[in-house]
Amino acid sequence: MDRYAWRRLRNSIVITLSIGATALGLGWLILILGSLVYEGLSGLSLAVFTQMTPPPGADGGLLNPIIGSLILTVLAILIGTPIGMLAGTYMAEYGKFAKLTVVVRFINDILLSAPSIVVGLFVYEILVAPMGHFSGWAGAVALALIVIPVVVRTTEDMLSLVPKELRESATALGLPLAHVIRYVSYRAALAGIITGVLLAVARISGETAPLLFTALNNQFFSTNLNAPISSLPVVIFQFALSPYEDWQKLAWIGALIITFAVLALSITARALSASRKSP
Amino acid sequence: MNSLAGISHGVQSPAPTIADRSIDDAGKPAAKILIRNLNFYYGDNKALKSINVPLYERKVTAFIGPSGCGKSTLLRILNRIYSLYPHQRAEGDVLLDGANILDPGQDLNLLRARIGMVFQKPTPFPMSIYENIAFGVRLFEKLSRAEIDERVQSALRRAAIWDEVKDKLQANGLSLSGGQQQRLCIARTVALRPEVILLDEPCSALDPISTAKIEELIDELKDDYTIAIVTHNMQQAARVSDYTAFMYLGELVEFDTTSKMFTSPGDRRTQDYITGRFG
Repeated sequence: MDRYAWRRLRNSIVITLSIGATALGLGWLILILGSLVYEGLSGLSLAVFTQMTPPPGADGGLLNPIIGSLILTVLAILIGTPIGMLAGTYMAEYGKFAKLTVVVRFINDILLSAPSIVVGLFVYEILVAPMGHFSGWAGAVALALIVIPVVVRTTEDMLSLVPKELRESATALGLPLAHVIRYVSYRAALAGIITGVLLAVARISGETAPLLFTALNNQFFSTNLNAPISSLPVVIFQFALSPYEDWQKLAWIGALIITFAVLALSITARALSASRKSP
Repeated sequence: MNSLAGISHGVQSPAPTIADRSIDDAGKPAAKILIRNLNFYYGDNKALKSINVPLYERKVTAFIGPSGCGKSTLLRILNRIYSLYPHQRAEGDVLLDGANILDPGQDLNLLRARIGMVFQKPTPFPMSIYENIAFGVRLFEKLSRAEIDERVQSALRRAAIWDEVKDKLQANGLSLSGGQQQRLCIARTVALRPEVILLDEPCSALDPISTAKIEELIDELKDDYTIAIVTHNMQQAARVSDYTAFMYLGELVEFDTTSKMFTSPGDRRTQDYITGRFG
């Protein structure tokens, strides 16, 4: 066999394998999305967004978990983003050459991949147990602990991508470092940092484990953060495991809502990071 | 070629005796910056060895030499931009109007407002053309809106870019061409009314037309400013500068008037470099 035929053969083998692997990965994804749409879409109605979670056998919707999830997510982002951005800013700007940065980066990477159930147990120990009851606050803190490492990482990465020439020329104008960061580095990295926050939102909106030990669930409408509060992932978890068909239906619908919310966020994040590359 | 006398000339004497030379400028120029016995280290690596050279007031001094000879390093000492990085340190005296800017007590932001710098790569900030200039000015002076408008306009005029941008001051600075961006960066520096302007290969990324514009600009700016320019382009050094310093392997080989350096250099190495025998 001459050399070129052998090359062509190897080429087609590898291409076939690559296409096969891609098809396998995408196939499962399509299957999951397909069954989700098939099971969920049929039950989707206005009642889902206006009524409370029902007892078995009754009509109802998902209003309380939707509102609960929104509150928990917004709170978690409000708590986690400033802390994460400040830490990331320290690591990329002030402490670029500090030992502390190396240590924080290492620990942050561990946190980033820590199982979220550990975060739930941790918050249970420090908040739920001393307070004596489950609460929305505990849920928000647990989610915030998941947000922080994501935001730390993207903030540091995005600020590190700001060309050093840009930082040097701002410094050469006599700008104090705080101004260089605020007016030049942040502006240049803004789209990237927002993308990171959106990814963090996507990450926490599906988290169930940390909420089971903290916010628990609430079958009634509640915005009281000192009491247990409902959330979509926990309701899905509970309803999907139940023997009642109408509850299982609602679980499918809830899963559909979360999936499309996350999809929309990811697309927004993609669009933002694409616009960052071509200013 | 008098190579024996050549090596010591300009290296040992901090301020070469101007009286010995026939310069057609009226009077004897004063040294705005006097560099005495300056050593510079990147970590353990000694990059500059006992540099002695003056920068005369309202004159253009060109630094030439092969890549890696320390020209840019020397420029980066003059506004202490190297202080951004640990492990970089300078020893010796850099006297700006008689005061040593290497003193630990030196206010770096004030120093950098007095000594502006333009870098090799154009670095407009990610904001409008107007803001690129105005925001540095606002930091140092409390001016009315009209005064800032006036300052922005005069800086853009000085940098010979006003006619090209006057109708789009609110456009993003990044939307300009490379040559325009570089002139915007010069305008930004000029707007702060520094006393000294450092140009680190300002034309290396530009086409010949933009280069010609910037050279014209340098010629005009020297009426008001003391200018130091690092360049790889020998013709450019000959065209724009009054004095030229030739550096080689971290040493200052020779410093003299540009006309003398390019017609009868005292050192063999200078002559070899200028005539293109190496470098």
